[in-house]
Amino acid sequence: MNKNELLEEVLKEVDKHPEIMSRREAFKYLTMSPLAASMLASATVGTATASASDAKGKIVIVGGGLAGMSTAARLTNSLSNPDITVIEPNPLSTSYQPGQTLVGGGIWPKSELVYQRDDFVPSGTKLIKGTVTAFDPDNNKVVVDGKEEVSYDQLIIATGLMLNFQAIKGLTGEITSCNPDNAEAKKTIGTDGVHSIYFQDGSEATWAGIEELIAKAKKWKEGEPKLQAVFTHPNTPIKCGGAPKKIMYLTHAQLEKAGVRDAVELTFYPNGGKMFGVTEYHEAIVEQFKARGFKWNYKHNLIEINKATKTATFNHHWTEKGEWDEDLEEYGVELKSKHVEVKYDFIHVTPPQKAPDVVAQSKIGSGKGWIPVKKETLQHVKYKNVFSLGDVVAVPMGKTGGSARKQYKVIVNNVISAMEGNQEAIDKTNAKYAGYTVCPLVTGIGTVMLAEFNWTKKPTPMVPLDPTQERWIWWLLKVYLLKPMTQYGMLSGRA
Amino acid sequence: MIKQLSTITLAAVAMVTFSACAGDKSAETKTYSKTTAEVYQQSCIKCHGADGAGKAEKKTPKLNDRTAGELEQDLFDVKNGGTNQSSGTEHEIMEHNMQKLIDKGYDYDVKAMAEYMYGTFKK
Repeated sequence: MNKNELLEEVLKEVDKHPEIMSRREAFKYLTMSPLAASMLASATVGTATASASDAKGKIVIVGGGLAGMSTAARLTNSLSNPDITVIEPNPLSTSYQPGQTLVGGGIWPKSELVYQRDDFVPSGTKLIKGTVTAFDPDNNKVVVDGKEEVSYDQLIIATGLMLNFQAIKGLTGEITSCNPDNAEAKKTIGTDGVHSIYFQDGSEATWAGIEELIAKAKKWKEGEPKLQAVFTHPNTPIKCGGAPKKIMYLTHAQLEKAGVRDAVELTFYPNGGKMFGVTEYHEAIVEQFKARGFKWNYKHNLIEINKATKTATFNHHWTEKGEWDEDLEEYGVELKSKHVEVKYDFIHVTPPQKAPDVVAQSKIGSGKGWIPVKKETLQHVKYKNVFSLGDVVAVPMGKTGGSARKQYKVIVNNVISAMEGNQEAIDKTNAKYAGYTVCPLVTGIGTVMLAEFNWTKKPTPMVPLDPTQERWIWWLLKVYLLKPMTQYGMLSGRA
Repeated sequence: MIKQLSTITLAAVAMVTFSACAGDKSAETKTYSKTTAEVYQQSCIKCHGADGAGKAEKKTPKLNDRTAGELEQDLFDVKNGGTNQSSGTEHEIMEHNMQKLIDKGYDYDVKAMAEYMYGTFKK
């Protein structure tokens, strides 16, 4: 689809709803932004090829998902003699993961998500279809599939993370989001009301699960106990922190559309004690939950699912006033916990997530597994020729495509400086990663709250609109524009 | 692939928006009544020890097994109650204590404190 066709599609959608917004108004929103922003954008698109560096060195990128492959593309654009190897076992690694919410919510078919890795390998880049099984940073090499040694001058780690379903008793599998090698997870997830949009096949099954729930709800009669739809959020950092809520909003919207919302109770069980780290967005979400009649119970961490009895067990934890603490000169607090059993008809599981074991257990990883880097430069804390980005890197709030989009530009500049032997540029003059991320929080069919923030935890909206409002225009952005931007702009190293 | 690149131009519309993020607006200057060394030596040390090894009787975790960057993120979590949307943190007790300590004047810049701790523990 070319740009005019795509724009026409968005505007056609606008035309269908003149009561919300005129075509002219939509166009205004889409192009509105501060002057500096547009300058930044044009600089971002244009300069990569304009000033190609003559720096030399062998670059190995572990992981060819969105983060790794976009980095390969941008390095290819930025170097006059690129020597780049990408190591990636998954044939669907470049699939469009942000769309999994829309598939799970019945908005898109799964085919909208599926993209072949081999179509995105930049020209001249070598692809090794294998898995790194060992890191040896002291000798500048990695091992592929337990046998092939690959040496490097500069290493970029973008392995992504593991969805650790098997950490929940009763569930199985430790998989990645879009690897078709997921049979183990599908043994327990995707049937009998247990679902997860966190993997591609699971997102398709989730929509089937919501349709089953709707069918059950149609048979429900006034006075019967309501059907229970349960949505979880684990105690680990997760990819796309908004997704556990987005699927809840879309389930609600589909139940309403089918005219059966009254038959179902929707409850959110997060491990944490709030909806969002940024106060403004937290408050906005609480209001959105109230307006939709959602329930929520904080500090509940899913630990077990019994599919036979359709029961989920949570570890509910809280603090109570403790003894006088002489060091603190105050009363301290004590942790308390108990198990809570919850019956479900439909449960959406957000799995605990972790760094791949090969990373966590190597010298490259940290105590918690994630790769420790200086968060502004994304350079490894110990190894100066190792960089990391995407879901596996230990930066706060970084596990989104929007974060990767900011990180990969920083990495490309810094890797080139490293090849030029210019550590000072990395530390001082090169552009820093500021921790920005974006969460287009889908709050219904046709509405999105565009939550943008950085690690100062303040909203950082890029247009002068109240960022806590749900807007249809951001829905259009999420449903029509973000995918082409990601798949063709970012994966070619230009957006 | 090349043909599809033409969609970039449209995506640029979205990009204009997405590139405009606030970047370094974060640089609010805040002054603290004590230096990081004073805060650590007068308060933190009571439970975490001079070497960051922790104290069994206080059930304080070991802090000398992590990098300055990791310490910075832990301290940020402790002061701000976590950065993930609804994941919560592992520091519930310290989050409570930290708010009390801030009230008593033991506040600090997380980056400076992380570097101080990392430098002191290593010796």
